[in-house]
Amino acid sequence: MSDQVTVAMSGITKRFGGVRALRGVHLTLRAGEVHALLGENGAGKSTLINILAGVVTDYDGEIVLGGEPVRFAGPAAAQAAGIATIHQELDLVPALSVAENLTLGREPRTRLRTLDRRAMARTARDWLAPLGVEIDPGRPVGSLRVGEQQLVEIAKALSLDARVLIMDEPTAALADAEVRRLMSTIRALRGRGVAVVYISHRLEEIEHIADRATVLRNGEVAGTLRPGPADRQRIITLMVGRPAQALFSAGSAGPPRPAGPEVLEVEDLAVRPRSARPGRCEPAGVSLTVRAGEIVGLAGLMGAGRTELLEALYGAGPPGRRSGRLLLAGRPYAPRGPRCALRAGVGFVPEDRRRAALVLEHAVGRSIVLAALRRFTTAGVVRSGRERDAVHQQITALAIKTSSAGAPVGSLSGGNQQKVVFARHLLTRPRLLLLDEPTRGVDVGAKAEIYRLLRRLADDGMAILLASSELPELTGVCDRILVLRHGRVVAQLPAGRCTGEEILTAAMGGAAAGGDER
Amino acid sequence: MTHLSAPGKRPGAAVGPAGEERPGATATGGHRWFPAGRGELVERLFAVQSLFALLLVFVLAVVVSPRRDGEIIFLSTENLGNVVRAVSEIGIIAVGMTFVVLLGGIDLSVGAILGLSAVGTATLMVDSGFGIVAAVTVVLLIGALFGALQGYATARLGIQSFIVTLAGLQVARGLARIWSGGLGIPIAYGDGPQEAPAAFEILNGSINGVVPVPAVLFVGIGVAAIVVLRKTAFARHVYAIGGNEKAARLSGVPVLRVKVAVFAIAGLLAAVAGVIHAGQLNQGSPNDGAGYELDAIAAVVIGGTSLAGGTGSMGGTLAGALLLGILNNILALNNIDANVQLLIKGLVIVAAAGLQKLRRSIV
Repeated sequence: MSDQVTVAMSGITKRFGGVRALRGVHLTLRAGEVHALLGENGAGKSTLINILAGVVTDYDGEIVLGGEPVRFAGPAAAQAAGIATIHQELDLVPALSVAENLTLGREPRTRLRTLDRRAMARTARDWLAPLGVEIDPGRPVGSLRVGEQQLVEIAKALSLDARVLIMDEPTAALADAEVRRLMSTIRALRGRGVAVVYISHRLEEIEHIADRATVLRNGEVAGTLRPGPADRQRIITLMVGRPAQALFSAGSAGPPRPAGPEVLEVEDLAVRPRSARPGRCEPAGVSLTVRAGEIVGLAGLMGAGRTELLEALYGAGPPGRRSGRLLLAGRPYAPRGPRCALRAGVGFVPEDRRRAALVLEHAVGRSIVLAALRRFTTAGVVRSGRERDAVHQQITALAIKTSSAGAPVGSLSGGNQQKVVFARHLLTRPRLLLLDEPTRGVDVGAKAEIYRLLRRLADDGMAILLASSELPELTGVCDRILVLRHGRVVAQLPAGRCTGEEILTAAMGGAAAGGDER
Repeated sequence: MTHLSAPGKRPGAAVGPAGEERPGATATGGHRWFPAGRGELVERLFAVQSLFALLLVFVLAVVVSPRRDGEIIFLSTENLGNVVRAVSEIGIIAVGMTFVVLLGGIDLSVGAILGLSAVGTATLMVDSGFGIVAAVTVVLLIGALFGALQGYATARLGIQSFIVTLAGLQVARGLARIWSGGLGIPIAYGDGPQEAPAAFEILNGSINGVVPVPAVLFVGIGVAAIVVLRKTAFARHVYAIGGNEKAARLSGVPVLRVKVAVFAIAGLLAAVAGVIHAGQLNQGSPNDGAGYELDAIAAVVIGGTSLAGGTGSMGGTLAGALLLGILNNILALNNIDANVQLLIKGLVIVAAAGLQKLRRSIV
């Protein structure tokens, strides 16, 4: 990292209607530095980078890029000036190959003006190599893993002479190995003098990769620091603006509670899908139990089969043959589909709330009652009074921050959207709640609230099965942790007394320290 | 981060903080004294957009209407009755189409089903000696069944409704021609053989000589559909599937059943329109109704229902259908060439779609 300043944003202020999103924000990005941008949802991170990327054009304040004041007319202008953004939703064409994507719009031609495929592949390799990426340029982008697609996108940005690279939650969808690869790529970028803006909710990553971190709170800079493991508490304090009470305090496994009756018993569950789907790892002989009042964690690497297991238990997987024995509250349970599972008293909060749970245009209230509509319906007609009461009760109980029950879900923050999904399933009064990455893309404050909620539900006798890739979440919230690998349970660990390393070791196939290996 | 320029549904959107810091979020989170979120206000405003447009076109029609003895012809009871009568068939079809479009689908077969039903009504009464009730019941059942089959094909086999109903269009048209022998079947009224019951002529009549019967049917069906869409769990399911089918399924919505029901409704209403058509023209012609599906879709779009599914309203569709009817009427009253009418209709559709886009970018 040099002291050469690539970008200096100063006095950035932005209002949306009557609401101030940013006030007097200063941010400097130096060549070759990785600059983390931290803050709870709604703190102004997205607005700030939207301004830098030319998406938001009317603001007060000044941006100086390479010594010259600039004001972008739009995203294209920012890109032309060397500011590239790696969005969470990647901007690649899935059907085209890596090489075609990298050369899109400036394809090398032969003398006959036809595509010069060889030159194309060569160029692509030239751009990928410096990043330490080995991907066959001929593969269609759609067949790549998310992490690989991201690397392609980074290579594309560099090929367009990006001086500033904005990465918005780049690791949210990555497996650990992919995260490591991304980290080494980011280090390579640093060596090339690129300034990287790195937005993430994962503090460990930021400690690992970032040279500096700027924390935003309520649209203002709460502080800038060099992050290290020792600063974690300080960062959280800066983000939430109050001393960080331990995130997991409410959820943490306290004194062992008397175990309730077994709600879910799974014996040797295996699923053979009718047609094989690449990238899926169906349960291949899973046995487990979840008792009332218990939060059981499901750990495992990406692709270990956590999601597939939960889907199988909810009847939501692809069509196929299921073998093994399932008991729900002591009675045989054969979920033919989500509808059937819901009736049996099973709820499921999926991993990808936007793709699998919500319609952003729909009203909060209607989204909440969707799964429990039967309870508010007489002869097909929805009884609006009873519906309204239930909605308001859920909004209050879960402290969902919304202007009204009629506001579109899309106007809520990520954490509150997630609470809407929770509310929907709690309204069905499930005895077993299946959760897949319930705090993904949720800010620290909302996370703590969700953990408290889970503990309260468990205390009320609900059985909870929680799949997560965040180790602190597993060790902090769960009573027991099951580690999955290749669709099998490979270890069972008591959450209170195991460390993240133990879980990872088991998940990666090493000797499970302290686990009862099966 | 959010593309502020193009929010709305992005099927490929990944989970994460993307979009969490949308300005709307800050507004709703930090300023709870707002009576409603900005998004909600805009939605409400646009919900009545088509009503405003209807009002505007109405006023315009009054202004430009030719006069006779100082009387505004457009506003005469006879003319207004004609407007609604002319709109009733497309309007009834558009009601069914609204359900389909809300579901995220499209139904191209409704025009052909209208033709089939008109032929069926005429043939059953004239050739087969059916009474009115029997003939109409059979025809409506055929329409509903035809729609249900199409719904089952899209839902079960996963074929896009565009394709299924494109095939359905051919099949229904073919059936209509086979059934009629390719020629229009005239309906004569009377008690003899080869004659339809005289009561069927009611579709050509008016209540108290003022309100045309088809108009009454149209308004009745429209109002019933508004109630259904507002009050029933079925409607919630339609919106949910149209907005996000996977989410609907995971929330326990019986997707297959709802889809079959929606296409059955579309088929049924197309058959109702077919019966009215036969009554109004005193014949069942197998080629009638061609292109009606497109007019119905136009009414739905002008009414503000998104072709992507999940958002829209029945009131909008009714307003859209009436708007098109008034437009046709006033252009005809002013002796403007029918081909120019087509041009203007096209412009109105584009304007409506443009307003839709605007809504997306504001919310």
